[in-house]
Amino acid sequence: MSNQSIDRDLKKGSAELLILSLLNGRQRHGYEIGKLIETRSKGALVFRVASLYPLLYKLEDRGWIQGRWVEKPGQRRRRYYRLTAAGRKILAERQVGWAAFVEAIRRITGAEYA
Amino acid sequence: MPDWAQAVRDRLAGLNLNGAREAEIVEELARHLDDRYRELLAAGLPEEQAHSLAVEELETRDMLAAQLRKTRLPAAREPMGFGSGGGNIMESIRHDLKVALRIIRAKPGFSLAVVFMLALGIAGNAAIFSIFNGLFLRPLPFAQPERLVDLDETAPKWNLKYVGVSNPDAYAWFKGNATFDGMAFFHGGGANLSNSSGVARRIKTATVTYRLLDVLGLKPAAGRGFLPEEDRPGGAKVAMLGYDLWQRLYYGDRRAIGQVLKLSEEAYTVVGILPREAILPPDAEVWTPLAADPNKASPFYLSGVGRLKHGVTLDQAKADLARIHREQAQAKDDTYPVMQPLRDRYLGDFRTVVNILLGAVGLVLLIACVNVAGLMLVHGESRAREISIRTAIGASRARIVRQLLTESLALAFIGGLLGVAAGKVCLHALVSLMPDDTPHWIRFDLDARFALFAIALTGAAAVLCGLLPAVQAASADTRGALQEVARSTLTRGKRGVLSVFVIGEIALAVILLISSGLLVQAFRKVLHVDPGFRPDNVITWSLRLPVAKYAKPEQQLAFFESLVDRLKSVPAVSSVSAASIVPLDGHMGYFFEAENGLPTKDQRPVVLQITALPGYLEAMGMTFLAGHDFTRHDEAADAPQVAVINEAFARFFWGSTDVAGRRIRYPGGNNKWMTVVGVIRTTMHYGLDGEIRPSVIVPFSVSTVNGMTIAMRTAIDPHSLASPAREIVRQLDPDLPMFDIRTMSERLERSLWVRRAYSWLFAAFAAVAILLAAAGIYGVISFAVSQRTREIGIRIALGARPAQVMRTVIGSGMLLVLVGLAAGLAASQLSARFLESMLFGLSTRDAVTCISVLSGVALVGLAANFIPARRAAAVDPMHALRAE
Repeated sequence: MSNQSIDRDLKKGSAELLILSLLNGRQRHGYEIGKLIETRSKGALVFRVASLYPLLYKLEDRGWIQGRWVEKPGQRRRRYYRLTAAGRKILAERQVGWAAFVEAIRRITGAEYA
Repeated sequence: MPDWAQAVRDRLAGLNLNGAREAEIVEELARHLDDRYRELLAAGLPEEQAHSLAVEELETRDMLAAQLRKTRLPAAREPMGFGSGGGNIMESIRHDLKVALRIIRAKPGFSLAVVFMLALGIAGNAAIFSIFNGLFLRPLPFAQPERLVDLDETAPKWNLKYVGVSNPDAYAWFKGNATFDGMAFFHGGGANLSNSSGVARRIKTATVTYRLLDVLGLKPAAGRGFLPEEDRPGGAKVAMLGYDLWQRLYYGDRRAIGQVLKLSEEAYTVVGILPREAILPPDAEVWTPLAADPNKASPFYLSGVGRLKHGVTLDQAKADLARIHREQAQAKDDTYPVMQPLRDRYLGDFRTVVNILLGAVGLVLLIACVNVAGLMLVHGESRAREISIRTAIGASRARIVRQLLTESLALAFIGGLLGVAAGKVCLHALVSLMPDDTPHWIRFDLDARFALFAIALTGAAAVLCGLLPAVQAASADTRGALQEVARSTLTRGKRGVLSVFVIGEIALAVILLISSGLLVQAFRKVLHVDPGFRPDNVITWSLRLPVAKYAKPEQQLAFFESLVDRLKSVPAVSSVSAASIVPLDGHMGYFFEAENGLPTKDQRPVVLQITALPGYLEAMGMTFLAGHDFTRHDEAADAPQVAVINEAFARFFWGSTDVAGRRIRYPGGNNKWMTVVGVIRTTMHYGLDGEIRPSVIVPFSVSTVNGMTIAMRTAIDPHSLASPAREIVRQLDPDLPMFDIRTMSERLERSLWVRRAYSWLFAAFAAVAILLAAAGIYGVISFAVSQRTREIGIRIALGARPAQVMRTVIGSGMLLVLVGLAAGLAASQLSARFLESMLFGLSTRDAVTCISVLSGVALVGLAANFIPARRAAAVDPMHALRAE
C-alpha cells in the first residue's frame, strides 16, 4: 500500500468509524454527532454540515445506519440515526482492523523511540 | 429567525433531487444550522456574527452540493472503477498501476510464473490467429472482393466435385446472365520462356478472357489490357507480363511494352503489365488471351470468376445460372453450374483445420488462465491481511477489486507482449515449413486486426485470471483474516474453487490430449497406407515440348524415347521411363466403357488416364496383379490398341481383377477397342488420404502428349541424378527447360504437409496443456499441504505414520484428478465430433488413444501429487505445532 492510498483511505475510513462508534448502542441526531466528535476529540476533529451530512447519507445508503424523524412535544422534529445490524457487523470489523492498524503503527513508531 | 431553509435550498440548486428527498434534507440541515445558531447566541455572540458563523458551516472547502452529489445521485452510489477516492481518473489509474508494479516486483517468483503461463497461452493463439487472419480475414486485393464469386461446374455422376466450365457454357452464362456485372474465365498452364541468350525457363501462364482484369476491379500497372478482338480465335498473339516477371526480366522498365516474348517457341507481343494485385489465376506469370471458340464443343477446363451486381445475393445468381443452364439446348444433366465466394473456393479446405487449431489454442489459453487464477487466489490468500486492514480503514470493495484487477492486467500485459513476440517466432517457424506452392499472396504479417485480437485476448486473460480472486479477496471475512489462527486455514469456499480449477484443468487437458491423440493416430494410419508405388530413390522431373517445334506426335514420341534411352546410360540408374502424370501430380479425366461390363446404373465415374512409355510402371515401383506392361511394339500408330488398368477400374467395371485380355474403349460405337494387357494394384494417386479413382494407363499410340514427367530409379541418392539428366536434355535440345524436379518421397511429404502440420501442432498444444495442468495440480496440492501443516503435525504427533499421511494427501489430490479425467473423457467425445472429417476413418472412441491418454494423465497427476505428499509426510510435528 502506498502512503497516499493509506492517507486517503484513512481519512474516509476513520470518519465512518467515528460515526458508527458514536451510534453504537444509542440513536443520535446529526447536530449531536457533530458536537460529540468535536468535544470528545477536544476540538481536534471538527465536522461541518457540508462534510457530516453527506457522510451520514452515504452510510445510510449503504444500509449501515438508518435515520428516522422523531417528534417531541413542543419541539420541531429531528432526524435520529441508529446502527442497523449490518452497521453493527461493519463496526465490529472496523474496530478489529483499526486496533490492528493502530497496533501496527504503534509498534513501528514506538520502536523508533524505544 | 433567519431563513435557514432558503440558505440550504440555494446550495442544493442544480442537484435535481426529488422533491420529497430535497425537503427532508433541507429540513434536517436547517435544523442543524438553527441549533448551531442558538448555541452561538447562548455563548454570547451577537446575532449577526452567530448567523454568519452558522452559514459558514455550509461553506467549507468541500462544497455541500459537491459532496451531496457524490452520495445522493444513484449513479454515484459506490463509484466502481474510477475516482472513488477523489482525484481524477488518470491519477487514479497511475496510482493503481504504480502499486501493481511494486507488488509484481516484490514477488518475482509468482509474477514470473504468471507471466510465463500467460505468454505460453497467448503465443499459440497469436501464431494460429495470424494464420487464420491471413487466410480468412484479410481482404483479397480486389475492389469490393465480397462481390466476387468463383464459377465452376459440378458433376456428381462422374464422381467429381468440380469439373471446370466448358467454352459453350462459359459463353452462354456470360451472354445470358442478368445478375452479374461481369464474368471472366481462365485456364492455367505453363510455357517454356526463352530469352535472347537462349536459356529456357518453365513459367506458369494463364489464358484468360479479356475481361478478367475488369472483373477483378484491377487496372494494368502499365500499358493496356486485352482487347475483345484479341480474345477471338485467330486473334493477335499478345501477352501481359506479371509484375514480378516484369521486374526480373526488364527491371521494371516500361519499354518492356512492345517487346516480343518467346513462349514455347511462339512469339507474343507484350501489351501490358499486370498489377501486383493480379493474384488470380494463382501464380500465373504471363497472361495471354483465351481466344476460345464459343460455338465449338470443348472439354470442361475453365475456371470462372464473376462480379455480382450490387445487391444481388449468391442464391439469386445461382438461380440465374441454373435457368441459363436449363435453357441451353445441348445441356446434358451430367454437369451443373456451382458458385461460391472466391475465397471459399481457394482456401475453404483449410477452414476446418484452422478453426480446430484455434479452438485448441483457445483451450490452452484457458488452462493457462485457470492456472493463473489459481495462483492469484492463493496469492490473494497470502495478502488477505493487507486487504483486511485496507478494508478496515475504509477502502471500499470496489477499490480493492480494482487494485487486484490492475495487478492482473499489468501481469497479463507483460505476458501478452512476451506471448505475441513468441507467437511471431512460432509463426515464422510454421510459415517456413509451408510448401513453396502455398499461394504467395497469402500474407501472415501483423495488422490492425491482429493488434485488436492480441489486446482483446490479453484483456480477457486478465479478467479471467483476476476477477474471481479479486472478488473473493475483497469479500474476505476481514475479521477472520486478521485473527492469527484463522490465517493459516484456507476458507472452505476457496478450497472448493481451487478444486474446481484443478478438475477443470485436467478435463481441458484430457480433451486436448484425446483430440491430438486421435489426430496423430489418424496421421500414423495415413502414413501406413500403401501408396501402391515405391517412392524411395526415385527422382522425377518434367519436360514439355513446344508444339511449334515438335508438331507431330511421332516427333514427340521419338524425342521422349531417345531421351529415356540416353538416361538409361547414366551410372547408377536402375530403371527410367516417363508418364504424362505421376502420382500426386494432378488429374486428367476421360470416360471409358468396358466390354461385357457390369451394369453401372447412372454412374459414369471419371477415369484417370495416363499416357506412359513402356517401363514406367516398373520404374515407379507399381505392382502387377495380372498380365504385364505394354512394349515399344505397342506404341506404333498402327499397332493393335492396348491398355493397362488399375484394380479400381477392374473392380468397378467387371468386379474382378482377373480381366487381362478383356476390352475397353472410349464411349461411342466408332471408337476402337483396347485390349487390357495388365492390371496393376491401385495407387494412391491423389494422396495417401485422398480418393481412389479407376485409372487407365495407355501407350502413345492411344493418346499422345507433348509433356511428360520422367521417373528415374536408382540405388543411390536420387538428387545426384538431376545434373547428369540436365546435361542429357541440353544435348538433345538446349531450349528445353526441366522443371518440377522432385523425388517421389518429396512429393509424398508435400502431399501430407497439412495433415502433418496440424497433427503435430495439435500434439504440441496438448503437451503444453498437460504440462500446465500438472503445474496447476502441483501448485494447488502443495498449497493445500502447506495450509494443513498444523493438522498434519497433530496427526503425526498422535501417531499417524508418514505412509498414512501420504496416502491421505495423494488420495485427496487424485480424487480431483479422477473427476477431471471423467469430465474430460465425456467432453472429448463431444469435441471429437469436430475432428471427424480429419480422422481418416478412425473412431472418435479409439480405445488405444483414450486409454493411453487417461492413464498418462493419471500418472502425471500422481507425480504432481507425490512431491507435496512426501513433503507432508516429512512434517516435523514439533515444528508444525510451534508455528502457532
